[in-house]
Amino acid sequence: MWEALENLGWVKTLGSTGWMYSIVAVTHYLTMFWCIGSIAVVDLRVMGIAARRRSLAELAEQLFPWVWIAFVFAIISGFLMFATDAGDWAPSKIFHVKLTFIAAAAVVAGLIQWLVPRWAQQAKIPTWAKVLALVSLLLWIGSIIWASEVPALEGLG
Amino acid sequence: MHDTLVAFAKWLEGTPWGLMTRESIWAYPFVQLIHFTGLSIWLGTNFALDLRLLGVGSRRATAAQVAQELFVWNWIGFAIVLTGGFMLFSGIATAFIGNIAFQWKLGLFVPLALIWHVVVQRKAREWGQTIDTPGIARFAALTEILLWICVITAAVQIPNH
Repeated sequence: MWEALENLGWVKTLGSTGWMYSIVAVTHYLTMFWCIGSIAVVDLRVMGIAARRRSLAELAEQLFPWVWIAFVFAIISGFLMFATDAGDWAPSKIFHVKLTFIAAAAVVAGLIQWLVPRWAQQAKIPTWAKVLALVSLLLWIGSIIWASEVPALEGLG
Repeated sequence: MHDTLVAFAKWLEGTPWGLMTRESIWAYPFVQLIHFTGLSIWLGTNFALDLRLLGVGSRRATAAQVAQELFVWNWIGFAIVLTGGFMLFSGIATAFIGNIAFQWKLGLFVPLALIWHVVVQRKAREWGQTIDTPGIARFAALTEILLWICVITAAVQIPNH
């Protein structure tokens, strides 16, 4: 099945055309940094160590659209990169761990976005909210570390 | 000049952190993690300001406020990028200085984008007083985004040379 994806005409063209693959890779890095950076600032604000003078609700309202726009582009570009070498990537255990971390991080980000209006109404941001923000940060850092381990340990990428 | 650079690169490769980055299979991903985590914070905060200057997205805070409130983490992010980047460079410094994509990245795009960013960040205090930003601010913000795209493009090309 993954070999079939890899052998599709347009996937082969993408994989063998330098400038096309470069555009996809640049999009992936750019949107990945943009997504993680935006959510990280919200997490740090929830934890009380960034932009303390700005209201949490307002900061979240400003940054969450960028989190999700960037996330969607990172997923699409990531899938395209995966497709060009799908047969090798699909069985990689470390790649599975990376994807699991990303999925968990995205769920936690959605949860934080949903909870921010409640936290913002309280006199003090609850401790469990700060713990959740820390979990979010650690999951994104985990995603990056597993992404870096795929080429290091499995020779892919 | 070139000889000095090569001598410096050779010295870096022999330093304990240069050796560690190059020879341990665990160190390299961790150093890359430092570089990428810093890049996320750096570019995330840069783009938040640039997009506000462009007038895209939430306009409840002015660009001057956004610049001010993100200033500290913006530069913490940069310090992390620099730490990770320096360690990555130290591992294979002689190969990097001979790499044409790396030369474009560090010799041209990074200094240009960095200087541009400092100017945008400083000018945002004045451009960002009101809800609507002047045309020059939008031009400067868009240019900054394009400059960082040039930096990433050059970086992505490094393994191809």
